Amino acid sequence: MDYMEDKMKAVNYNPRLRLHLFIVLVVSALISIFFGGYFTRFFIAEIAILSIFAMSLDFLAARGGLVSLGHAMFLGIGAYSTTIFILNLGISPFIATILSLLIGCFIGLLISYFIVVLNGIFFIMVTLALGEMFHAWVFTSELLGGSDGISGIIRPDISFMGIDMNDPFIFAIYSLLWMSLIYFILSRITDSPLGRNLDALRQNHMRLSAIGGYAKVYKIIAFTISSGVASIAGSLYVQLNGFISPELTHWTVSGEGLIMIIVGGIGSISGAILGASVVYILQHELSNFISWWMLIVGLLFILVVLFMQDGLWGLIEKLRLRLLKGKNKI
Amino acid sequence: MILELKKLSKSFGSIKVLKNINLKIDNNECVGIIGPNGAGKSTLFNVIAGHLKHDIGDVIYKNININNKSNEQRARFGIVQSFQKNSMFPEMTVLESIMLAISHRLNITFQLFTNLNSNIRILNEAFEIIKNIGLDKYSNSRSDALSYGLQRQLEIGIAIACSPTLLLLDEPTAGMSPLETKNIIRLIKNLSKNYTIVIVEHDMEVIYNLAHRIYVLDRGKIIFNGESEEIKNSKLVQDKYLGIENV
Amino acid sequence: MTLFLLSAGLTIIFGLMKIVNLAHGSLYMIGAYIGLSIWTISTSFWLALILAPLFTALIGYLLYQVLFRHIQIADPMRQVLLTFGLIYIGLDSVRLFWGTMSHSISAPNILSNSIIVLGESYPSYRLFVIFIGILIAALLYIFLEKTKIGAKVRASVDDPEMAKLLRIDTDKILIYMFALGCGLAGLAGITVAPILGVEPGMDMEVLVLTLIVVVVGGPGSLKGALIGSLLIGFVDSYGKVYIPEIAQIIIYAVMAVTLLLKPNGLYGR
Repeated sequence: MDYMEDKMKAVNYNPRLRLHLFIVLVVSALISIFFGGYFTRFFIAEIAILSIFAMSLDFLAARGGLVSLGHAMFLGIGAYSTTIFILNLGISPFIATILSLLIGCFIGLLISYFIVVLNGIFFIMVTLALGEMFHAWVFTSELLGGSDGISGIIRPDISFMGIDMNDPFIFAIYSLLWMSLIYFILSRITDSPLGRNLDALRQNHMRLSAIGGYAKVYKIIAFTISSGVASIAGSLYVQLNGFISPELTHWTVSGEGLIMIIVGGIGSISGAILGASVVYILQHELSNFISWWMLIVGLLFILVVLFMQDGLWGLIEKLRLRLLKGKNKI
Repeated sequence: MILELKKLSKSFGSIKVLKNINLKIDNNECVGIIGPNGAGKSTLFNVIAGHLKHDIGDVIYKNININNKSNEQRARFGIVQSFQKNSMFPEMTVLESIMLAISHRLNITFQLFTNLNSNIRILNEAFEIIKNIGLDKYSNSRSDALSYGLQRQLEIGIAIACSPTLLLLDEPTAGMSPLETKNIIRLIKNLSKNYTIVIVEHDMEVIYNLAHRIYVLDRGKIIFNGESEEIKNSKLVQDKYLGIENV
Repeated sequence: MTLFLLSAGLTIIFGLMKIVNLAHGSLYMIGAYIGLSIWTISTSFWLALILAPLFTALIGYLLYQVLFRHIQIADPMRQVLLTFGLIYIGLDSVRLFWGTMSHSISAPNILSNSIIVLGESYPSYRLFVIFIGILIAALLYIFLEKTKIGAKVRASVDDPEMAKLLRIDTDKILIYMFALGCGLAGLAGITVAPILGVEPGMDMEVLVLTLIVVVVGGPGSLKGALIGSLLIGFVDSYGKVYIPEIAQIIIYAVMAVTLLLKPNGLYGR
């Protein structure tokens, strides 16, 4: 049977290392927030939000075995629904985030019901086309600001607690909190029986149905969760920038997200955060110095895809094993 | 009676693969299905397991017609199969794979707040099964790191972890060394005390060793049905199948 | 018709190697740029028309030797992302070599007037493009269905293992067909240049459209690519004229409906 064909290579599952890496990443983010300037704080917030997006792709790819090139659509759904909730309906930003999560999940559920029967490359192409459809719609829609986008989106107002959300310091912390929350939720799901079944689904869906697991249901669950998470990222993203542009929903955003999880190491969750940080920082630093940075980034992407099966996570795991062995010898 | 096939037919396009199959399997029986290549053994198997849908006829399981039940639903009724090709969860350990199968039977797959290996009951049951299938030394090895023979044993282990009422084994000894074959025969013999088993096999020795009753399939028809001794003496079957095999 | 040239190339590559080459659009763009350079140097459009596809095919050949040879077994995600990386490289190399300005190529004199067909006047260059499309479709059909090499190609697509046993050099066939697919993209690039001009970013515009055509027509099917490109091209141009607001969405809707009814595309296996 062809289940081997659309199997994802190299999924990293190691709950302890995952937690350790996560702690290291969060601590270094906190350090940069405290000692960094305005821009550093802004960057950290952006990285945290991108990490949420990367985690959603990671979850989908590693647990559901589904690769989506249209996931920027859910980023867009989160972003635009938040915008509408805040600007047109006057709902408070925090509630708007929650609502857009629900909308993202709902649309994800609806779409996945139709498309999870597709395998491998077909799934990729269909998600790509769906994402582009959304992009085209957003681009021309008057209500959604068309190609100009919409500006004037506000952040949650918690001044009654004496905290000003518009301070980049605070918002960076706020984004990190969301990122951590989602990290813990996704880790919880991954380690639960449900998560192990999702993992099994990716490894061998024929066998899973032979022991009584409804493969399709699991795929729908994975897709729904993942689209909800992506919506949160979208919602936070517009609150960070106070502005939304349809560029956010372009399929290359999804492609970059996938590169992030490959760099970090698929399936490790905290690897997705690491990947998002590395790719983001790399792009920013390079584009500051070199005008043809895209060429270098493209080359790096290809090298990573070709030679780093397990991403940075794989390197860390190997390094740790070597260290442990060294200790045992003594 | 646990399973009954009534006047079952199945075609692929214009080719009739199964013609008017009638078959009965009683409780605690071990039934073998043999036949030359292309006789329709695998198709029959897949129809029983629910991977393929038959055209005409009925599949009756415990007096219920399960014609329209999917593979997953049948698995939940207790019709569990092992695969001809090794088909496990390559990145999971032996223990994990078995626990996964148990989790389906207990309907706890949608729980979020416990881990599988923190559930003592499941853990104990899993170790029990692993011992039964003789993999106790390997419970923490990844499935894809096991040797071929051990993988076949795990294959059967995953199937029995679903605590089947009807266990379908598709060529359990395919591609195994004589020693491995011996192991697996012993294993299945042990299992046949507790389970109803249907085996599709190529290797006549295995079938003679295990099956109480044998169906001989040839070009989509059942041409013989009886005890293994009868088969050994049947002229018809000798000509059709064993004769070819011995040449 | 350019859509057909593009999707024919993509569908050949997909059918043969089960790779979705996202960099197909980039090859199209590079084809147009190479054509631009040749046209600037030699001032002959015809020369550009012949050489540009050849150069693009050469690029395809090199890409295959360096990259695709290694990833045939890898999972679809890696394949897709590899070609995704190529898009970046393609876009920036074009910027480096030719700058960010948009250029235009003028059609040769013979084709710069209009011809009246059935009472309506068409620019003759557009008719020429249609002619090239039909010509290529016919040539590909003859090549794949009637010649011995074509039979070998089809054999390697249907059953690579068997083809290897029959001593068909599947590797070689893959390389040349991949180059052919890329060459077709280049041809599309240069033929469309006099109409749409040459600029960075033209790759993205066609890529998604091409993918849709391939999905609708059934990946790997040449006939599907032809019918699909006609269908999508028709919907696209008429949609833009009559219902411009939702023209884009209609295309995607066509694709969605096709996939729901026939998950493998119109002519998919």
